[in-house]
Amino acid sequence: MLRLLGVAAPLIGLAAVGAAFSQESSEQSAPPRASHSFMSSAQYTVPDVRLVRDDGKAVALPEEMNDGRPVVLNFIYTTCSTICPLMSQTLAQFDHELGADRGRVHLMSISIDPEEDTVARLHAYAQKFHAGPEWQHYTGTAQASLTAQRAFNVWRGDKMGHSSVTFVRAAPGTPWLRIEGFVTPGELLQQYHHLLEQSGATVATR
Amino acid sequence: MQPGAGESIYLRGVLPSGAPLEGKRQAAGLTTTGADAACVGCHQRSGLGTYEGYNFDVTIPPIAGPYLFHSREAHTQEAVLPYVPWMHSNRDPYTDATLARAIREGLDSQGRPLSALMPRFALSDADMDALIEYLKQLGSHPAPGVSERELHFATVITPDADPARRKAMLDVMDHYFADKNLFPIGNSLPLRTSGHGQQAKSMFMSHRLWRLHVWDLTGAASTWGAQLDAHMEREPVFALVSGLGGNNWAPVHQFCQRRQLPCLFPNVDAPLDNSHDFYPLYFSRGVLLEADLIARQIAYGAHAASAAPAASVLQVYRPGDGGEAAALALAAALKPLGIPVRNQPLAPASGAKGVREAVGQAQKSDVLVLWLRPADLADLGDAAAAPAVVYTSGVMGGLEQAPLPAAWRSRVRMTYPYELPEKRELRVKYALSWFSIRHIPVVDEPLQVNTYIACGLLAETLSHMADNLVQPFMIEMLQTSAERRLINTGYYPHLVLALNQHFASKGGYIVHFARPEGAQLVADSDWIVP
Ligand code: HEC
Repeated sequence: MLRLLGVAAPLIGLAAVGAAFSQESSEQSAPPRASHSFMSSAQYTVPDVRLVRDDGKAVALPEEMNDGRPVVLNFIYTTCSTICPLMSQTLAQFDHELGADRGRVHLMSISIDPEEDTVARLHAYAQKFHAGPEWQHYTGTAQASLTAQRAFNVWRGDKMGHSSVTFVRAAPGTPWLRIEGFVTPGELLQQYHHLLEQSGATVATR
Repeated sequence: MQPGAGESIYLRGVLPSGAPLEGKRQAAGLTTTGADAACVGCHQRSGLGTYEGYNFDVTIPPIAGPYLFHSREAHTQEAVLPYVPWMHSNRDPYTDATLARAIREGLDSQGRPLSALMPRFALSDADMDALIEYLKQLGSHPAPGVSERELHFATVITPDADPARRKAMLDVMDHYFADKNLFPIGNSLPLRTSGHGQQAKSMFMSHRLWRLHVWDLTGAASTWGAQLDAHMEREPVFALVSGLGGNNWAPVHQFCQRRQLPCLFPNVDAPLDNSHDFYPLYFSRGVLLEADLIARQIAYGAHAASAAPAASVLQVYRPGDGGEAAALALAAALKPLGIPVRNQPLAPASGAKGVREAVGQAQKSDVLVLWLRPADLADLGDAAAAPAVVYTSGVMGGLEQAPLPAAWRSRVRMTYPYELPEKRELRVKYALSWFSIRHIPVVDEPLQVNTYIACGLLAETLSHMADNLVQPFMIEMLQTSAERRLINTGYYPHLVLALNQHFASKGGYIVHFARPEGAQLVADSDWIVP
């Protein structure tokens, strides 16, 4: 459908944030395209920031991310009622469908609105989506969240720039799969297994 | 049809039967229910939708009646539809039947599938009728306070507000409104240009003169609601802007919610913190935020070298003042930690003696918390018997101007839910030079700067809204755009809202005085968000 983006109108200031942020780094197309999403492969440097987990513990992002488990990552905020519930529900269903493999994965959701998303609010949000021990939510200072968003190239000027992006990585050191748009739990599961196979990490290490 | 049935589906995700609304996303195999499925979560209270993503990656179109049923023929005589960048216009108008199909099966008026974000809802015919009825009336009521040439606002002042502050605030507002009408941003030339269809026709941004009504309340707080209704009958307004409260702002807050009137950034110490209310927006939670800051310090033992929680707390406040609400909030926050809290309300008109007696109730091992105004702080007397740890509310006590007796200055820690003086220079600079050019005397800097920022946010939001003079849309636009103000944020380090959020600044510092004299502060903490 026509989105009327180019039309000069008083409201146009809303769209202007974008242009400056549209350069993607080293990403190229990778695995098969899913229905409502776009996939690419990318290297990101995990920034050395401290975040606060939804159990109240202060943690370092690299340690959380690089403990050897495959990681599935997204960025959410708890007052977001448009795309975040679907993103979180997708992660929850993916987690569920992993079945017994659930213990091997690490699901991470980082808040892009950390001042509103206190530990208590984040914890309540996590519970709403039945997050098990393999799924952590993170808040922290506004600066720390911003650094994390920039490192994964999802920061777009403000919260309204937020879009649905899911990241999957088989193991520390291997590239990330970046999935833009609404991936279904089934597609995510397929991509996840595909990535693990590629990296030869399907054989359980414990 | 049950009255309110459509509204209940739209706003709460509750069917007339009491069962939760259920939306499905077939491809993903996911079901969303109840409040999560409610249309308002995406299409918003205004029915004008929203967007997500810097390139409008996701657009959630307006579904207020006029947008669904409006003919797209350029030559019709229908009223012009105000332009919304995320509206869907490249389709035929809906009929009741195709609209029901869109909601049930996710197909647009021409049978094309809608995106996966829009759930599919299996509604009964009766429920569907109620919902469509609701959509039809949405956006079809003219807003109060809007005429072809004028846009009316009011500012509310409660009778217990300080007259000098009242004048200081109105000085800023009167000048702002006069300026606004002198140098209009948009002009009245319709932007018809050469487009086709409804969006080209609708790109007016008519300039209306801003009118400010000053609503001074009188008498007991229990009568303010009726007084406000009477003002509204006489002088209908589109929104309340800024405003000045004393001890109690609740009746004004409730009036805004009841009359569905945006209530933008009043100068109040103790706002009502009710996250279910849509129409009032505040700069911060004021003393309630300070209570949370103190609770956090006490709980984490940040007040003591030992990092152990405090043994006990004594709070002093004037009954009926904002400090009472704060004292209640602090006691409630400390209760789960098992820290005993004693409250020491001051007797009315008790003077200096009363203040000293109340403070004298504190044991050495207590944490003493003062929810006091400058006049009471000045009466604290000597500090010989005072506990080692004393917190005072910066908001109530006058920030770095707090008239604390010398003996107290060295031990008092102050909550400071603003940017620190040296860091906010740039943030207030524009406002202060604006005052100085207009010869507006600065009587109360935080009050006047925040009033100026409130007016600025109003102007900005109205320019974003263009001709969509829809009251809930004003709240939604403020919520989605306030964050883009980067420097001119007045006393606050940043102002961040989002849809469903009502307090723009969420943290504060703990500070103490640097020296026995003067206003210089030292921060004991980083910016804390409790
Ligand atoms: C999770 C978000 C979400 C919820 C909840 C939601 N919608 Fe939608 N709706 C959308 C999106 C996104 C679109 C646009 C789809 C597209 O672009 O293809 C849409 C489109 C529509 C349209 C088509 C508008 C047009 O111009 O063609 C209608 C009608 C509609 N929604 C009605 C409803 C109703 C009624 C409800 C509540 C019962 C509801 N929606 C709940 C997200 C939502």
